[in-house]
Amino acid sequence: MHLNEGTRRRLKIVLPIVATVAIVAPLAWLWQASLLPKSYSVMDMGYSDFGGGPGNEPAASDSHGHGHAASPGTRSVVDLTADAARQADVRVDLVAAQADLVIGGKSVAGYTLNGTSPGPTITARQGQLVEVHLRNTSVPTGITLHWHGYDVPAAMDGVAGVTQDEVPVGGEFTYRFVADRTGTYWYHSHQVSNEQVMGGLFGALIVLPVDADRAGNDVIATAHTYGGKKTINGAATDLRVAAKAGQRVRVRVINTDNGSIEAWASVPYRVLAVDGYDVNEPADVPGRSVTLTGGARADLQVTMPSDGTAVRVQVSKGTAVILGDGDPPPPPQPAGDLDLLSYGSPEALGFDAAKANRHFDYSVGRRPGFVKGRPGLLWSINGHLYPNVPMYVVREGDVAIMRIDNHSGDVHPMHLHGHHAVVLARNGVAATGSPWWVDSLNVGDNQSFEIAFVANNPGVWMDHCHNLKHAADGMVAHLMYEDVSTPFRIGGAADNQPE
Amino acid sequence: MKQAYRVLAFLVAAGVMLQAAAVAYGMFGLLKWVENGGTLDQSTELTPDLGGYTGFSLHATGGIFVVPLIALLFLISSFFGKVPGGVKWALIVFGLTVLQVALGLFSHEVAGLGWLHGLNALLVFGTAVMAGMRVTRAVANKVVAAEPVPAATVS
Repeated sequence: MHLNEGTRRRLKIVLPIVATVAIVAPLAWLWQASLLPKSYSVMDMGYSDFGGGPGNEPAASDSHGHGHAASPGTRSVVDLTADAARQADVRVDLVAAQADLVIGGKSVAGYTLNGTSPGPTITARQGQLVEVHLRNTSVPTGITLHWHGYDVPAAMDGVAGVTQDEVPVGGEFTYRFVADRTGTYWYHSHQVSNEQVMGGLFGALIVLPVDADRAGNDVIATAHTYGGKKTINGAATDLRVAAKAGQRVRVRVINTDNGSIEAWASVPYRVLAVDGYDVNEPADVPGRSVTLTGGARADLQVTMPSDGTAVRVQVSKGTAVILGDGDPPPPPQPAGDLDLLSYGSPEALGFDAAKANRHFDYSVGRRPGFVKGRPGLLWSINGHLYPNVPMYVVREGDVAIMRIDNHSGDVHPMHLHGHHAVVLARNGVAATGSPWWVDSLNVGDNQSFEIAFVANNPGVWMDHCHNLKHAADGMVAHLMYEDVSTPFRIGGAADNQPE
Repeated sequence: MKQAYRVLAFLVAAGVMLQAAAVAYGMFGLLKWVENGGTLDQSTELTPDLGGYTGFSLHATGGIFVVPLIALLFLISSFFGKVPGGVKWALIVFGLTVLQVALGLFSHEVAGLGWLHGLNALLVFGTAVMAGMRVTRAVANKVVAAEPVPAATVS
């Protein structure tokens, strides 16, 4: 091919420009496409995933549906509340403030509830109606309270931009729910949650059986890392609790951190409950630790030795609960952790997972791209980056199976709001122990889980990674009931930022 | 445009120097922090409380945003720079930079890649310096070439 001088000169000018555009344009397009509007509804995010159940076609009762289950629902989350006429049995006032915390002699910028972090423990008896009145005096980015692991009515779930607007400085909000289940739970802010939970906006929620005698044999150990310092119940020292020889003590360990922790004891222990739900016929666990993923709880029971020696319950390597008098040496960390897949004895689940009519996939990967205009190697859900993630759609009464698999190179504590799910299998191996109910599931790299849940709590629910840093980076999907919608929006005038 | 090419090439090299310095400071800062009672585990967050924080955050921002951006601008400048072989060298620097980012990110999964991440940093640095030096040399040669050739003496 022969080019004349003029063409060649023109090419010399055009080619560099073409090459530049060829490089910059796709990047600019990807960047631009990842920007989010100033305000949007989670209901408009991504795409509907019906899990093979009804919803693709208009339901018989639905006269106007055109293949969009995400069409405006007939119920709003704000109406999904506890019985408004019922009087509260437990009333708690919580005042949130920005403050400098003193952790292990060091000052750490953070937040308090009623002047402390963790905030006060909220204790109720099963069946009582709990009413928590939240006031924000000085948390500049606003605050909400989410009842982690407690399957409250949707309006009370405390997720900014999904179930309510954030509570600004000077604002207030009242949470009401019936404490219908016993167990160990916690509450935390779900507005700018990574930063606010890290800074201390959380506390324990304990629901006791009606007839329980708690005196002296029930310990709460809330593990949290403030400014790099490991603490139990806000103190960077071991927690000392009196205990008599032969006494059985229940230690309720709550992991409020993003990363998982291990717990173990200097004597064999039993795991009485996981994520608030009792384990059926738990046996002694010798020589193993129990893993608590981010947001998870485990109730450990130890029996004090008859010779009166003290017992150490390690809550990760740095901190411990010391039961009884004395200073027992820290027990070495067990090499392996307890496999809850085969722990305890099977019992009826209360529903038939084989009759599941929704089958969802929640596949976590990692790929380069942009989220919210920021480039990086980002978490993907079913191959997509936020906000192009699935909206899992169910109908009340459905039984859903969700297959979670993780090939992202990192661990993810998966947390579904409003529901407890039972683990059916891990890496294809069926569960053989006690029903393993979870709200916070540790999904390791190259692991897969099959979990099942009953759609028995209508609402619009987050289904996200409880490593709140990952959530802030876009590892957030939602579960919605086909007839429920939310009027709240992410961003907007209220500046809702759930992560 | 030649000067832009040259400056950007040296900026890439300077970026690599800063990256190496930042991560070295980060490691020592972190070890000191652990010695002083800090606990490093999965729950440890990259906050200013962490020892070596400045080093790690600089390395992260520099590695994911700043250096790749400079390398990209360098590549674009090569299209206009009219430096002989300039595009080729810019492509090498840019390609190695992309590889470096990938190695940095995937070393979190396969720690062994960290060896390559460290070695490849030297390659990015070396090729960027070479690319920049080539302009310096080309300009110098031109200056030499432009000097009047001494006329042959006529006897």
